[in-house]
Amino acid sequence: MGGGGGGGENGEPEFQIAPMIDVLLVLLIFFMSITSAEVLKIDKDIKLPVAQDAKKKDQNSAVAEAAINVGWIPAQQKARLTFEEREYQDNTEELVSILSQRKENNTKYRCIIRGDRALPAIEIQKVMTVITQAGIDDISFSALNQE
Amino acid sequence: MAKKPHMEAESLNLGFQIAPMIDVVFVIMLFFMAMAGAVKVEQELKQTLPGIAAMNPENAPEMPDEIMVTVEETGSVLLNEEELDAPNDKKMLNFKATMNRLNLEAKNRGAKVLVTITAEEQALYERVIDVLNAMAAAQVTNVTFTVGSEE
Repeated sequence: MGGGGGGGENGEPEFQIAPMIDVLLVLLIFFMSITSAEVLKIDKDIKLPVAQDAKKKDQNSAVAEAAINVGWIPAQQKARLTFEEREYQDNTEELVSILSQRKENNTKYRCIIRGDRALPAIEIQKVMTVITQAGIDDISFSALNQE
Repeated sequence: MAKKPHMEAESLNLGFQIAPMIDVVFVIMLFFMAMAGAVKVEQELKQTLPGIAAMNPENAPEMPDEIMVTVEETGSVLLNEEELDAPNDKKMLNFKATMNRLNLEAKNRGAKVLVTITAEEQALYERVIDVLNAMAAAQVTNVTFTVGSEE
């Protein structure tokens, strides 16, 4: 009992610096981890829409998932379709064949559409058509939890 | 000669100081605590595209309650041709409440609700997401999304 009681000579509890540092460091590591773990890995040019009631993304499904980015260039009034850092806006047939191949290799393969909030709905429809042609029926729309 | 470095260290007082370390740790911790509240997390709104569904002959398909939702270029959202919220209202409280009520009514009758969202070609994707978000809030799962006129 004499080792870590924390009592002073007169029996009064005294402030212990070592356990406080321990607690502080644990809290620091906790907040550091939750902040850095949620860093978004999306195209910086895409401004995602906000959907507060959407479900949190399942990290386990990310392995068998195609993230299709659909940006919007306001100056040209044109969409920009990219997949794995390659542009397929004018070459959707190639994207269809790539996605079809992935789907054949993994039946659980799915797509997540990361579309810019300023996009016209027709551009999203075009992407959905590409995904359908590839034989993938499980899709989801990406959104943020807050502005 | 051998004692000189020891004496210099003593005079400079380079010993470990706990107080400034705690100050720094506190500041860093406060920074991360503040940042934790503002973290943007990617979320998803799930959809299933039309495909070849496996038919089960034992269970005859039930006719669902079909609800038509139209998203116009102006941002207006029509539920069975009735506008419930303002075009710039992102929360869509009336729409959510109506969808929730319709969904509950259908559940009580043992029926399913099928929502078809039809967006005009130049309607904003953001507005479509607002509608899908309202569906998620009302726990409506059978949602189809199409673009263009119904004709």
